Amino acid sequence: MPTMTYLQAISDAMRQEMRQDERVFVMGEDVGVFGGAFKVTDGFVEEFGPERVMDTPLAESAIIGTAIGAAVEGLRPIAEMQFSDFVSCGFDQLVNVAGKMFYRQGLSVNITVRLPSGGGFSGGPFHSQNPEAWFMHAPGLKVVAPATAEDAKGLLIRAVRDPNPVVFMEHKHLYRRVKGEVPEGRYETDFSARVARAGTDLVVIAYGAMVHTALEATADLDGASVEVLDLRSLVPLDEEAILASVRKCSKVVVVDEANQMCAAGAQVAALIAERAWEDLDGPVVRVATPDVPIPFSPTLEQAVLPQVDDVREAVRELLEY
Amino acid sequence: MSSSSIEMTEIRMPQMGVSVAEGTLVEWKKQVGDWVEADEVIAAISTDKIDTDVEAPAAGRLQEILVEVGETVEVGAVLARIATDARPGEAHSSEGTSEADVALEAPGEAGELQGDTTEADNEGSAQRGAAQRPGGRRYSPVVIRMAAEHDLDLERIEGTGRGGRVRKQDVLAYLESDANGDAAEPPMHIESPYKPDAPPPPRKREPRFAAPAPAPATGAAPLSRMRQSIGRAMVESLQTAATCTTIVEADLTRVDSARRALGVTYLPVIARATIDTLREFPALNATLDGDTLTTYEGVHLGVAVSLGAEGGLIVPVIRDAQELSVEGLAARIRDLAERARQNALSPDEVGRGSFTITNPGGAGSIIATPVINQPQVAILDTEAVVKRPVVVTDELGNDSIAIRRMTYLCMSWDHRALDGVLAARFLRALADRLEAWPVP
Repeated sequence: MPTMTYLQAISDAMRQEMRQDERVFVMGEDVGVFGGAFKVTDGFVEEFGPERVMDTPLAESAIIGTAIGAAVEGLRPIAEMQFSDFVSCGFDQLVNVAGKMFYRQGLSVNITVRLPSGGGFSGGPFHSQNPEAWFMHAPGLKVVAPATAEDAKGLLIRAVRDPNPVVFMEHKHLYRRVKGEVPEGRYETDFSARVARAGTDLVVIAYGAMVHTALEATADLDGASVEVLDLRSLVPLDEEAILASVRKCSKVVVVDEANQMCAAGAQVAALIAERAWEDLDGPVVRVATPDVPIPFSPTLEQAVLPQVDDVREAVRELLEY
Repeated sequence: MSSSSIEMTEIRMPQMGVSVAEGTLVEWKKQVGDWVEADEVIAAISTDKIDTDVEAPAAGRLQEILVEVGETVEVGAVLARIATDARPGEAHSSEGTSEADVALEAPGEAGELQGDTTEADNEGSAQRGAAQRPGGRRYSPVVIRMAAEHDLDLERIEGTGRGGRVRKQDVLAYLESDANGDAAEPPMHIESPYKPDAPPPPRKREPRFAAPAPAPATGAAPLSRMRQSIGRAMVESLQTAATCTTIVEADLTRVDSARRALGVTYLPVIARATIDTLREFPALNATLDGDTLTTYEGVHLGVAVSLGAEGGLIVPVIRDAQELSVEGLAARIRDLAERARQNALSPDEVGRGSFTITNPGGAGSIIATPVINQPQVAILDTEAVVKRPVVVTDELGNDSIAIRRMTYLCMSWDHRALDGVLAARFLRALADRLEAWPVP
């Protein structure tokens, strides 16, 4: 099995699907000749030609709107937002048009919108956000957020084939920092959670880059057996997997890199409060980014984003409770 | 609930008079679970200036005590509850089943839980309630659920969580050891013989300037409850009323002759004259509560009684004093004073007066400015009767100097309720009545 970075796995997923399925094409700002701002589509225009690797104007509304039209006509577009932050310019097309098309007209909108998201590299307030909760709140959209190279590829292939609009949160800080064995060829990963590490004393529930933070924070905690649950998919949310972990461990720390208010972790905490009350042996603890913009200063950014030590401290306190 | 709900009678802090707002529980003479007869004394209370007993309003079993000894609560507050449908000799209901137990501790809650549910549900909720309750320890949902599933007594499980909290792991460990048959009994001695060194005493910062040496004192002691109570009432009166004092001189020479003939002191005669004068000036036979002035048909006369060497003062009230003669008043005042000093007044004999007389003149003082007994609007102070040379005018208009028995009638009144001219007219009318008192 070849080893790939998270970024290579995303490229591989698109390449494999484009090779096998003529309906699949990519579009976005500088995805063609330049190969994408992060070089995810490096070499694509050479292999698939400019008609399937389309450079677009700086207009996210137009990118998503065009993708919607193409999907309604039967194609399977993959639209790249250069940074997830910029999706706000295409918000109406994504939330109101794509998300409600099937409800209103019975038409499938088979689009995948890739959102390079997340911080940790001094990108500042416009290039570091985690806007997944905006779309979790919009009926008709699916939202997935892989943490590993293998899942990035499998989830993206699944997203391309899903007849619904899928918001694909790819954490750009993981692009070249996470490597792993990735199966060759085409495979799909279900929109479901995954136990990243099994344990019995406490479960840390996370997704995206925070899965790695959680694993590192709980690798050695004086012999405590800490489970890490990687949600992978936020909509649909794998409720049964969450409840199974809570039943087993009875103590829960929920980690979000997103701003705390109404984040994905808030939904997880609410689910646990509603359906796992009698399994709890302590309060549900949340670790998330406070409700502030992501600072540019590296020191301040570290102070704001959940760090390994923050998660470790929260876990330790809850273990002792 | 299948068993009938418990009929309760409440025992409340009795109303002792309009100026009494609260009382202190001094002693419980019955305990929860005790059988009490109607009118049996179950508690001692101290209300304002009175120490008295609380009697059971009905027979039954003392179900719960809501006010601890030393607690001060408002008049009307529930002190305890008596289960009036209990029977003497039968088991106290808290000694019954756990179901009853839960029902007793939280009747409303248990009623809801057990409404129309099956027998099995009843047991479950009772157990769960019990698991949460003992000793005031609190348990997490999973611990409560496990205790219910395994029928555990959580009190017997040692907690290793924060502050000795019982965690899920502790329950699991207990279950494991319990299955092996040991750890059923808690260890007899769990205290470590190791004693850590005492922490060093906190460093005391030297004051920047030396404090002046305290003045030499002969002793310090907290005020008695009665002193505190009087103090509060007096300060409150001065802060409430616009207190003024008016003084009129009166010739009691005739009163002296009359009282000697009857074998009484000055006080019942002055009281009788005051009652008659109050009937002419109803605005002074009144109470003022905020903006509401209440005048009274009858004169409910408070007579301040000093409690003697240990200090303290109490104002028993003669209700409808207008119905009593001088001799009747004398007898009633004597009786009240005697019982006041024996601490044997009933709460109904104190308070709800409409006018008060205070009588410290026996000690030789000639003028004073008394403090109004709230919420009344005036208080009459009678001072020493002294022989003085005064100018008297005979029926022909001729003046001469005579030795007469004189006194000052001092009255403090509330300027919110009346004006000075009325106070002066009242006192003058009272003096005229006394000066013309018939001698038998």
